Amino acid sequence: MGETLNVALPKGRLGDKVYKLMESAGYGCPEVLSGGRKLIFESPEGTVRYFFVKPSDVAIYVERGAADVGVAGKDILLEYCPEVYELLDLGLGKCRMCVCGVPGRPMGAGKLRVATKFSKIARDYYAGLGRSVDIIHLNGSIELAPILGLSDVIVDIVETGATLRENGLGVLSEVCPISARLIANKVSYKFKYEELTELVRRLRGALEA
Amino acid sequence: MVFSGEQGTKRDNIADNTCTVPDVRRRLRGLFEQWGYTRYRMGKFEEYDMYAKNRNFVAGGAILTFTDTDGRLMALKPDVTMSIVKNTLPSEALHKLYYFESVYRAEDPASGFGEIPQAGVECIGELDLSSVCEVIALAAGSLEAMSERYILDISHMGVLSGILEDAGVDGDRKEELLLLAEGKNSHEARAVAKKAGMRDEDFELFDRLIHLRARLNDAVETLEGLRLGEKASEAVGELHAIAGALGKRENIYLDLSLRSDARYYTGLVMKGYIPGLAKAVLSGGRYDGLVRRLHREEGAVGFAVYLGLLEDAHADAESVDVLVICENADAGALFDYVSALRKQGLSARVDRAAPGGLEDKRLVRFTKEGPVNG
Repeated sequence: MGETLNVALPKGRLGDKVYKLMESAGYGCPEVLSGGRKLIFESPEGTVRYFFVKPSDVAIYVERGAADVGVAGKDILLEYCPEVYELLDLGLGKCRMCVCGVPGRPMGAGKLRVATKFSKIARDYYAGLGRSVDIIHLNGSIELAPILGLSDVIVDIVETGATLRENGLGVLSEVCPISARLIANKVSYKFKYEELTELVRRLRGALEA
Repeated sequence: MVFSGEQGTKRDNIADNTCTVPDVRRRLRGLFEQWGYTRYRMGKFEEYDMYAKNRNFVAGGAILTFTDTDGRLMALKPDVTMSIVKNTLPSEALHKLYYFESVYRAEDPASGFGEIPQAGVECIGELDLSSVCEVIALAAGSLEAMSERYILDISHMGVLSGILEDAGVDGDRKEELLLLAEGKNSHEARAVAKKAGMRDEDFELFDRLIHLRARLNDAVETLEGLRLGEKASEAVGELHAIAGALGKRENIYLDLSLRSDARYYTGLVMKGYIPGLAKAVLSGGRYDGLVRRLHREEGAVGFAVYLGLLEDAHADAESVDVLVICENADAGALFDYVSALRKQGLSARVDRAAPGGLEDKRLVRFTKEGPVNG
């Protein structure tokens, strides 16, 4: 038997979907589905050890080596640029990072005020366009900012667009598509190479099935 | 020509906590001196001017500066290699130097500036294959001084770069693809390659090489079996020569996705890993470009070992032979008792409670009546 892989999964709906994918790839651990307050689950044959963490923390666990692999959203990877390998696009949790605002509202030629939770993504996006911006970092209820005049636009994740529509906002442009990615710690990749490449091979197979 | 970096059998591993960071420092010094490298010492700060001119080469770019009493702008040394290149004069003999120094920089802007202790080796002058292989062998030996299970990854940045240039991909797209290759990110690289107009067969080759992982000798054989363009073939030729000179080595691998942290490394790059650390503990390569920037027609190769990473991961527990917890004790009797222990060659600490982070081999309670369980 090879070494046990420590896998950090995001808590919540995405984590449930990823676990099902792992299970279909042959990395099942029935205890995960048992509920309760347990935080760490080891598969009966000892191939994987799962732990569920806050979605935005997965990349930190992997980068710092507490987990060998993990599943993180592309938004988190673009925002924090962790030093990890990005091995697979799992195609789960698909959404878009978008610039949103009040449709038809005229924008001045001067500095654009952009409210967002994703400061780096927004800054990089506008730098690519050569547009000067004032980034307003917010931690939640981003949609309020253009409605109350705090910002001209927002940069945020759009899944269905329902919240935007309900608040009189719309997508003005798309920054990039977002989905869940399998990431690996660079040192784990060296020392658990066989286990990790086998995991990638089986996950790819499960995705194609 | 076969190079061996081994320095005798070492069963003790820092990865298993059976040797300490000071042990590693001693072993590294012994290794470097065994290979005839001489110690290079330098001050903590230097004139800012050189770093300002080569700011692009400083990782993170941020430098701590201050004005000296004579008005000169000084910098707390952000990099050892640059300082060594600046302070060594061209000579017929090679400069073979090792160092144990700290650098001061903000590796992670969110965490601010920090002191980063490093050890390292630099070889500067008219380099030939043997001097390059010697430094690689020393890198392997340095890792072995920390763990028998070390891995040293080697790459030549010219291979992937050459494949892209031969496929007509240049500029920003090339940089983007190399960055994605560094993250072994095939799925996004495929999309970028398409935008760059790269032919499918060229991308398949590029993608295959991103994921190629094998011991150096075997990997070079694989590379030689491929149809590569002129630039990539030249880089493979260099790797072939290195692999031949080093001989079969269990722990040295080829990983072409590798890029160096320091921007002055070009061509050959290497990174070293030991189990138990989350990041590479060694990084290095050739930096002829930096030397030439300083108007010298020489070559240079070297590496740094990040001792700070070891210290963070393996904080050595402080210990004392006898911990004496005093409870309303008579000061004279207590003093005599502890002096007697020290005369026996034991270390002893008197305290009112067990301090955190200090292991004791024996615990003694000392009350008005004297030692209770001593």
